[in-house]
Parts: sequence; C-alpha cells; structure tokens
Amino acid sequence: MTLQQILFIVISLVVLGSAVLVVTTRNLFHAALFLVVSFFGVAGFYVLLDAGFFAAAQVLVYIGAISILFIFAVMLTRDVITAQRGNSQWQAAAIVAGVIFLIMALLLGPFSVTIRGREFGNANWPFAMDGNAIKAAPGNFVGILGTGLVDLNQYGVPFLLAAVLLLVAMVGAIWVARELRGREAERAAAETAVDDADMDANQPVQEPLPLIETETHEAHDSRNAAATEKH
Amino acid sequence: MMLAAVLLMGFALVGASILRPKKPSKAKLETYECGMETVGDAWVQFRVQYYIFALIFVLFDVGGIFLFPFAVAYNSLPLYAIVIVILFILTLLGSLLYAWRKGVLQWD
Amino acid sequence: MTVFEVINNILKIVGDAVAAFIISILGAGGLADFVIMLLAALIICSICAVAFMGLTYAERKIVARIQDRIGPNQAGPYGLLQPIADGIKMFTKEDTTPAEADRWVYNLAPLVIAVFALLTYAVIPFAPGVVGTNLNIGVFYVIAVGSGSTVAILMAGWGSNNKYSLLGAFRTVAQLVGYEVPMLLNVLPVVMLAGSMSLVDIVERQTLSNGGNGIPFILMAPLSALIFLISGIAETGRSPFDLLEAESEIVAGFHVEYSGMKFALFFLGEYVNALAVSIMFTVLFLGGYAGPILPPYVWLLLKVAAVFTLLMWLRGTLPRVRVDQLMSFNWKFLVPMSIVNVILVMVIGKVFVADAVLAQSNGGIAVPPIVQALILFTSSIALLLASLLLVARQARQLRLVEAEDIEKRVAQNKVAAAKVVAQ
Repeated sequence: MTLQQILFIVISLVVLGSAVLVVTTRNLFHAALFLVVSFFGVAGFYVLLDAGFFAAAQVLVYIGAISILFIFAVMLTRDVITAQRGNSQWQAAAIVAGVIFLIMALLLGPFSVTIRGREFGNANWPFAMDGNAIKAAPGNFVGILGTGLVDLNQYGVPFLLAAVLLLVAMVGAIWVARELRGREAERAAAETAVDDADMDANQPVQEPLPLIETETHEAHDSRNAAATEKH
Repeated sequence: MMLAAVLLMGFALVGASILRPKKPSKAKLETYECGMETVGDAWVQFRVQYYIFALIFVLFDVGGIFLFPFAVAYNSLPLYAIVIVILFILTLLGSLLYAWRKGVLQWD
Repeated sequence: MTVFEVINNILKIVGDAVAAFIISILGAGGLADFVIMLLAALIICSICAVAFMGLTYAERKIVARIQDRIGPNQAGPYGLLQPIADGIKMFTKEDTTPAEADRWVYNLAPLVIAVFALLTYAVIPFAPGVVGTNLNIGVFYVIAVGSGSTVAILMAGWGSNNKYSLLGAFRTVAQLVGYEVPMLLNVLPVVMLAGSMSLVDIVERQTLSNGGNGIPFILMAPLSALIFLISGIAETGRSPFDLLEAESEIVAGFHVEYSGMKFALFFLGEYVNALAVSIMFTVLFLGGYAGPILPPYVWLLLKVAAVFTLLMWLRGTLPRVRVDQLMSFNWKFLVPMSIVNVILVMVIGKVFVADAVLAQSNGGIAVPPIVQALILFTSSIALLLASLLLVARQARQLRLVEAEDIEKRVAQNKVAAAKVVAQ
C-alpha cells in the first residue's frame, strides 16, 4: 500500500465516522461540529487528488461559511442539548437517501443494471480497477478553469446562471427571514417576563429624543470612547 | 507538505498543552458571571438576525470563489469575457442592494 | 552586504548538515523528507512564538507611549523581560474548566484556533526561495485558513457554557464573517494584476527582476490596499473593531472562562493573526521582500514592522465602534465599494494593457506600465473620494433631519413649559 492509499483509508474512516455521529448525536451543536470534521475530511480528499483549489474552496465555503450557518441555525432551535424528539419523517428520509445512494452507485460504480433492454450504469467503468485513475491536474489548472468559466462556448452560461441562483437564494432567504422575524416579535411580545430569548445585552439603546436641550451626540460619544484603555 | 504542516503544528500544540501543570481545583469551577449566581444554561435560543447575516455571507463567499479562477486567467482573456464577469458581479451587487432595500442589513 | 551573505551561508550550511544527518539516520526516502519538513515547520512555529512574545512587549510599550503611560518597566531593563515573565506566569497558572462546560469542545477550541493561526505561515515567502511551500493558490489558501478560526471561536463560546462567552462568540463570528467579504473582494485586483494566486509570483511581479516592473501594487490598487487593511484589522479583532472583547460590555468575549495556557493560546492566535495580516499586506501590496540594496529579509522585516506599527497606532488612538456601526460600515460601505472597485480595476486593466503582446492579441491600448499604474491609481482615488462624498452627504442629511426633530421637540417643550408657568 502506498502512503496515498493509507491516507485515503484514514480520511475515509474519519469522514464516514463523523458523518454517522452527525445523525446519531443528541446534542445538536456536537452534530454540527462533527459535520465540520466531515467537511474537513472531504477537503483532505481534494488535497490527495492534488486539487488544492477545491480543497481551499471546501474549507472556505463549507467550514468557514456553511457550518457557521448551520451552527447559527442550531442556535435558533429551542432545545439544543436536549432535543429528544425523533424526526417523524425519518422513514421517508431513509428511503430517499437509499435511492440517491443507488443512483450514485450506478453512475459511479463499476456495474450496471438492465431495465427493459436499456442498460443503466457503466459496467466497464474506466477507473474501476485502474491504479492510475487519479491523474495529476495540469499546472495552471485554476487559470484554465477561469478561462472556461467566462467563455460562452464553455461554461459562460452556467457561470451567469450561478449568479442568478445566488440572487434568487438571497431573495428567498430574506423572505424566510421576514417570516422568522415576525414570529420572533410575536414570541417576544408573548413572553416579556422570561427574557431568555433575546440575550443580546449590547443593543444600541434607542434613546427617546430628549425633551430638553441636551447634547445627544456627547452622550453617544462618551459611550463609544468607553474602552480605549488597553489591557 | 501542507498535510505535514497541519499534522506537525497540531502535534506541537498538543505537546504544549500536555506540559501545562494541573493542580487540583476546588469550587472555583463555577461559571463566571461577574460574581452573580448563574441562572440556567447559556445554551438558549438566539436571534434570527445572526442567521440572516451568515446567509448573506455565504452568498458572497460562493460568488467570490467563482471570481478567483477568473482573476488568475484575467491577463489572457479577451475583452468580451470581462463583460460576462461584470454581469456576474453586477448580479451579486444587485442582490446586496435588494437586501439593503428590504432593510435586512440594519443591525438592531 | 557581505555580513548578510555570511549569515545566509552559515544558515544554509547548518540546514544542509541537519538534513544530511537526518538522511544518514533514516535513509533517503519519504520518511526522511517527512521528518525534515516537520522540523522546518517546527522552526517556523517557534519563530512565530518568539515573534509573539516580542510583539506583545512592543505593542504594550508603544501603545503606552501613545496614551501617555510608561508601560511595563519592572521586569529587566526597560521591562524587556516582561514577555518571559508573562510566559512563566501563563505556564504556572492553574487551569480551570467550568464545571458546567462542554469539556471536549472547551478544551479543543484553543488548540484549533492556534493551529489555524499558525497554518498561514506555511505559504509566506520570506525571501527569494525561502518559503514553506509555494502553493499555486497561496492567497486563496491564506483566506481559507483564516476563515477556519470562526468555528473555533464558536466552539470556545459554546464550550464555556457562559452567557458572556456565547454572546461574545456570536458577535465575533458575525463580525469576522462579514469582514471576510471585503477581504476576499480586495484580493481579487491583486490576483488579476499579478495573474497568479501564488504569493511568490505576486511578490516577483512587484520586483524589478523576473518579469516584474518594480511597481508595488499599493500604487496600482490603493483603494484595495486600504480596504484590505481595514478588513484585516477587523478580522483579527483589534481596536477599533475589538467588540469581541469589549470589557465594558461582555467582560472579555468568548474567552472569559479560559485561563493559563489555554488563554495564552488564544492570545497567541490573536497576535499571530495580526502579524499574518501585516505580512499579507506587505506581500500583496508593498512588494514583500522586494527592495534595493538591503537584503530581502531586512526589507520584509522593515515593511512588516511599519505595517504593524500602523496597527498599534490605530489601536492606541481610535475608540471602539458600536456593533450596529460595525455591521453597517461593512455591508453598506465596504462591500459595495469593493465590488465597484473590482469592476473598475478589471475594466481599466483590460483597456490600458501594460503588455504589448497581450494588447495585440486581446485588444486594448498598449501603454507603459507606469502609465497604467498612474491611471489605476487616480481612478481608485477618485472612486474613494466619490464614495466618501456620497456618505458625507447622506450623513449630513441624516443630521439635518435629526436636528429638525430636536428643534421641534424643544419648541413643544417650551409651549408646555409656558402652559405650566401660566397655570
């Protein structure tokens, strides 16, 4: 076994193990952290494949952004550590996951299924047993990628569609956020007594405008200058 | 090399934290809250605002990553390619302006 | 000059000897290479640690002078031994873990943060040929590694099970995540102008030797440099963006509960990150180790010292911003301006091409590099001034509305007061 193969197996175990832990841990925050470990392992795969750009992109997007998003979302739920209720739709989820896995295995694996005379899958998959499957990326790989992205004959249209997709995602997010905010306001009104919901102690205090001629600006400034002193 | 660096720095730091002297500790393990008795866990529900900002960040992060390969190829690209990228960036700017318009960017 | 050559030679001889020694023990091959790389990385790490100690001393002294204090002066001459005293203190301090804490998460967080902070140094070119590894995605790697620390901060905040910690962590992450966008966007012009993401290539483009034209990128993209510096300061959480450790509000932010060596690791992470930002600024915009007469190390050191002094100066003088100001400044000012700046550089760089051959093949007007730099410089400055004017006008309008409101209330007050008097 080469060093690469050993590393591959180790990383695979880490990815799979943490992925299993993501769905089995009760503590939602821990689940999010295991997801981060899993993502990190995938970045490791990219490094093994000599695709440094994708490894860095994986770290930047999935660990730096998506997992933060997940953790923030986790903190929006009520019972982070004691989420005992099971998901009522887990059977459906399991079926969907199984189907997707089968399709992926058909697409990528070295076997095929014949349905009504048509062959699905790829029996003589080129990479299946070939040790040289992993070919080194060309030196200026990122530059070639960039050229392809902005060429209308290659990936120019998907590139622009990606921007539109991001725009649509933004619109959708804002729409959802409004709903959530509305609910938050309702809840805050409902339980003013117990203020565990909003522990942000550092809101910029909305002072009512003073009735007499006092200098509002000075009041603000003194608060800002509160801690210029350094440790 | 990158992998080696990761491994070794982790290793060095684990070593450092093993070196640390550990003394038996008493009732000083309470959560610090300026001397007040702590009420409940800190693990409570947070505001949705953080989530929204994280979402906007994800969008720009992904958009930015698309731009990096282009930037590397920039010197050898023809002029019309720039137009496509400008369209891309303007769409991103458009989504930011939309968020701004809807008052999402206001931290309160 | 010769002195530096002698030092260089000695270093090289020692390095070769160590490498030969390792190979003689382990035999040439993967294992020996691995050990040598490990050793090199260890050396970089320990240099970082030493730099960290020096920086804490320098910063305390300089900020003290700025604020009309003396700073550390008890340990050793001029307080020079202060960092060592601090180090001993950190090592011998008892390490407490809150009883309620989430142990694993709590203990792992400082480690993760320090590792991510140190990882940056793997790609930084210190001198021609002296670089941990010349990744062809250098800049991108640095940004990606920088973004990894956010998870660690959340871990620290969560693990402590302390309201201040968690709140501090959330605010910190919202800030770091926000300011990463302008950082990302303002690296783009540099990558475009250099045509590569490798830090070595970027530096070489700013030297007079291998195909570079000797113009540092700060002259070609001054606005990018400015925004990069601002967002860099915010990324490291230094004043005026140090809301994450606002003592007056949330005690010390996400690391309230940490003590001893774990706290030291957070502290190290902070300073190592600040140093990394200074170095990255130097490499991207000031030409890294490029410079005449003096040897490369010295140039890099001088430039980094200058940038770091600037950071300290800002820390010593500016008051902390408010959290809503912080977010607005980023999303409503820096990000839009960066986007426009990217487009500007993109268009100008394509219309006025410095390379005659490229101009012929891709269209555009061929101009000498100096002229191109001049055009880029003036347009960037123009954009900065325009956006500042816009903001100033907006602010004036807001102030006028506010003043009007106050006047109205004062008038109402007077009427009310007159009524009372009349009664």
